[in-house]
Order: sequence, then structure tokens, then C-alpha cells
Amino acid sequence: MSSSTNMNALSQSEMERFQKLSNEFEPDVQGPLVTTKQSSHTIALDYANADPTLAAKTNDLAVTHPTTRIMKGDGNCGWRAVAFGYFETMFNNRDPIRLQEELIRFKTLNCYLNEVGHQEHLYEIFSDATEEIFAQTAQAIQNGDRDETFLVNAFNEEYSSNAVITHFRLLTSAWMKLNPNRYQAYLTMPLDQYCGTRIEPVRSEIDEVGLQALVDGVINPSQFGVEILYLDRSEGEHVTPHQISDKCPIHATIRLLYRPDSGHYDLLYRAEPTVNMTPMVNLQYDMTSNLEAWDQGALNFDVSSHLMSIPNLMADPGFGMGTPMSPMAPSVSPTPASPFRMSPPQEIYQSPMQSHVPSHAQSHAQIPSIPVASPPPVMPSAAPPPMTTLPSRSSDGPQIRLNPLVMKPNLSRSLPVTTPFKK
Amino acid sequence: MGSQKRIGKELAELMESPPAGITVNLVDEANMYEWKVLMDGPEGSPYHKGKFQIKLVLPTEYPFKPPTVSFATKIYHPNVTNDDKGSMCLGMLRPDEWKPSSKIGAVLEFARQLLSEPMPDDAIEGRIAEQYKNDRKHFDEVAREWTRKHAS
Repeated sequence: MSSSTNMNALSQSEMERFQKLSNEFEPDVQGPLVTTKQSSHTIALDYANADPTLAAKTNDLAVTHPTTRIMKGDGNCGWRAVAFGYFETMFNNRDPIRLQEELIRFKTLNCYLNEVGHQEHLYEIFSDATEEIFAQTAQAIQNGDRDETFLVNAFNEEYSSNAVITHFRLLTSAWMKLNPNRYQAYLTMPLDQYCGTRIEPVRSEIDEVGLQALVDGVINPSQFGVEILYLDRSEGEHVTPHQISDKCPIHATIRLLYRPDSGHYDLLYRAEPTVNMTPMVNLQYDMTSNLEAWDQGALNFDVSSHLMSIPNLMADPGFGMGTPMSPMAPSVSPTPASPFRMSPPQEIYQSPMQSHVPSHAQSHAQIPSIPVASPPPVMPSAAPPPMTTLPSRSSDGPQIRLNPLVMKPNLSRSLPVTTPFKK
Repeated sequence: MGSQKRIGKELAELMESPPAGITVNLVDEANMYEWKVLMDGPEGSPYHKGKFQIKLVLPTEYPFKPPTVSFATKIYHPNVTNDDKGSMCLGMLRPDEWKPSSKIGAVLEFARQLLSEPMPDDAIEGRIAEQYKNDRKHFDEVAREWTRKHAS
């Protein structure tokens, strides 16, 4: 039975009871400021006895987004979720250069604060705290830390959590004041008053306009997407996702669960393997390359030497991803008859990677067969579908191999270490 | 800790260029969180010519929680508790309205402004507020009398 039939069958009193149950959901005011990742089933349990629509949606959510991170409902939840999500995404990217660029960007953002009249000696402790988290993230990446415990700890420390959130609030407020035309129409009061009463005060809940401004002014330039999943009573069995970043997210997406009844925000994590960026396999290229061209058997390495200078060559998914991923399966194929071929079949770029990333490579390769995702995913998956529809590469015929001599300099030039790849 | 760093800078700024009618000092040199403030009653108010001693206490969570302001000198005012605490808690000093970007200097100027213009609709002492609104003459008399008695 669909939830809409359910809804129609509900009596007025039942509706009222469900509304009450749903309204009675109260975000945790005890507990940590940010929890570790936990199963999204806890969310489903919150609504097990509530409105069937919400029960269905939260059950579905536990499948499509199996993990969550609960924010303390202390008035900072939305701010904290975005700030935490930002640094967590940064950490998961594991790109020290990008991290450095983002740090510089944040330092530059402080100019907004000066422009709207904040004094540095009043706000520097907030930006210091943000910079400290950047430093910790950089250190964790450098140490090769596997999990984000350091970040959870930092955001559970009252002072640094408050300071970072205050910094994000001030940057958002300044951004709005510098772009009044963009927001005034959505406000019921003068923008300055809005910033002074809804954005800057401690523990003032973020609202839709504030969240949009936070994303516009502070998060968007990072090219991270921000998506909100609304757990409302609208028809359907899935929570409704809204992309609120205006750019197509290049690097990753921060996902928030929003419960309109309580105005509460938590973080959500989608059911897909996170792609570890080390050793910086460029999946963008995987997605956009027409790999079938490589299968025509017509391309010898000697005729394609100029191709070594274009980024698409990095599309060889065998690089760093292990053989299961690659329809080209270079290391198990006969050596092509290329005069440029410099290395023996055991490519030095293959073997070390295989020992490091098999779990990611495997899980990535198996995206189509993940058993949990019985309903189609809510959002179009960012996984590269063309890859999965390619026929397995036959082991006969010539093959493009990465020329190590060309690849080395090419690496720094073609991988989007500093500049995000744009389609 | 950032909190002390900021308090130190605010204190230095206030000591170097204090707002009109206000001087600040630490109660104890070793403790940055308790300030002794001397405030001149503003001209044109019944508190004129009085010198009011105010205790300003910064919470350890400053600037994420507001300072607390209390009059050590007795004062007849609708927004100051008429007891031995002499507390003042309204507007920007309310925990929910407090902005971490507000500074202590602004708090003190706010307090002094409140001596010139009480906010009877937001009063803590309802009886004094009523008198202020309905019988300003007598309010001024009592306030002046208290100023002469306690604040000179």
C-alpha cells in the first residue's frame, strides 16, 4: 500500500495524533555536540510510531543514507552541521594543496568582516579557531589518519566549536550585508536587523535564508555541494532532496537532514563507497571519457604520443584503481607492440596501488551490485555509469599504456590538484 | 586561550581610550574576568553628578556568553534590581540576544545610555517603571535623592 493511500485512509484524529507525535520529536539537548557516525536506523526509530509517511521516509532513508551524525539541538545544529560537514569533506578529500587553498580563501574572507565594520581584535579569536581546525585537518592528512576522530573531538570542545560557528555566522552575516539585493526580498525585516537578530546571536537557529547565505558566501567557492533532505509530510516514500549550492559540486556533497517540524539539522551520508582521493584517481575523467575508443584496436602507442599530453589519458582507470575496475586490464594483457613502451607488463604504477587501495577499488567496481540499494537511489548517482556498461576488454589487440616518462610531468599538469576540473 | 586574548585586547583598548564618562580597571590584577567600572551619571538625567560603581563579570565562556553587569552603588532605576545585587539584564545583555562580536565597550555604553533613557517596558522593577511612566516628577526626585545619598 502506498503512503498516499495510507494518508487518505487516515481519520482527522489519527492525523492529529501523528502530527503531535511528530511535533514531539525533540532534538537531543544533552549528548555530544556532534556524534560519531551512527546508523540512520536511529532516525527511523524516532518516527516508528509517527505519521506513516514519515515512518516510510525514514525507513527508506536508512537504506539510501545508512549513516548519520546527530547534532545537538542547542540552536547551533544547522551551523554546526555545515561547518563540520565542510571540514569532514575537506579531510576526506585528502588533498593538502586544496586544503591550503581553502585556508587562504578563508583568511581572505575575513576582509568581508572588515568591510562591514567588524574589528579584527574582536573577531580574530574566531578566525584563529577556524585556522586551528584547518591545521588539525592538514596534520591528520599528513599523518595518514584513517578516521575523523580529531574533527569530532574538536567540534565537541565547547570553545573551538563555538568559535568556529561564530566565525561562520559572522562571515555569513557580512556576506549578506555585502549582497543585500540577493536576500532582502526574502526577509520580513531590514537585512541589518535580520543579521543582528537571526544570524549573529549565539544559539540563533539557522533558517532557510541564512543557510542559503552560508552556502553562497562561505561554502560554494569550495565547490562542495550542499544538499538538504527534507523530512516532511509531502507525498512519496523518499525524503525530498534539494541542492542548494548553485554550482555543480565537483568534489563532494555535504548532505543535511532537515526536520521542518523541529527545525533541526543533522548530517547524512549516502550509501555509496566514498572514493578515497589518494592516490588522486581522477574520476571526472573516467566519467567523461569515451573509453570505447581505446578498444578499437586502432591506436598504437606510437601514434598517440601526443595524447599523452592530454588529461584524458589519465582516464586509464587501471591506474590506482586495481584491475577489477578497468575494462582495459592492462597488467594482465599482452604487451602492445609499441616502440614507446618502456616498462614490463607489471607496470610500476599498477602494482603498488593494488596493494593499497583494493577495498576502495573493489567496492567502487561493484557499485551496480550493492545489495542494500534495492530502491533506486534518491539522487542520480555520481558513479560513472558508462564504465559499467562497457564490455570487458578482450585481451587481444593493442592497448594504450601509460608511458612513465610522459606520465610523470603529466601528473602534475593534468590532475586537478589546484584547479577543479570543469566539464 | 582565545577568550583571555580577546579580553586583554578589549581591556587595553578601553583603558587607552575609554568611552565618555566611563573608566575601567580590574578588581584584581591577576583576574581578567572581573572588572571595576566607574560610571558618571549622564548629564540631563537624575543621576547627573553621581559616580556609580559597576561590577562587570565576564563568564569563562566569554565571548560566547554575555558579561554580567551589576551596580555596586545603589541606584533607583526601573531596569536595575532594587536589591543588594543591583543586576541589569536586558537587550544585548540577554544570553539569547548576545552576539559574540559585541564588545565590552558597547556593553558599558549601553548601560550608560540606559541611565539617560530607562526602558520601562522592559523593566525588572515594575513599580519604579510605573512611576517613571506616570509620575516622572516624583521618579526624578527619588532617583536624584538616591544619587545624592549613595553615589556622591
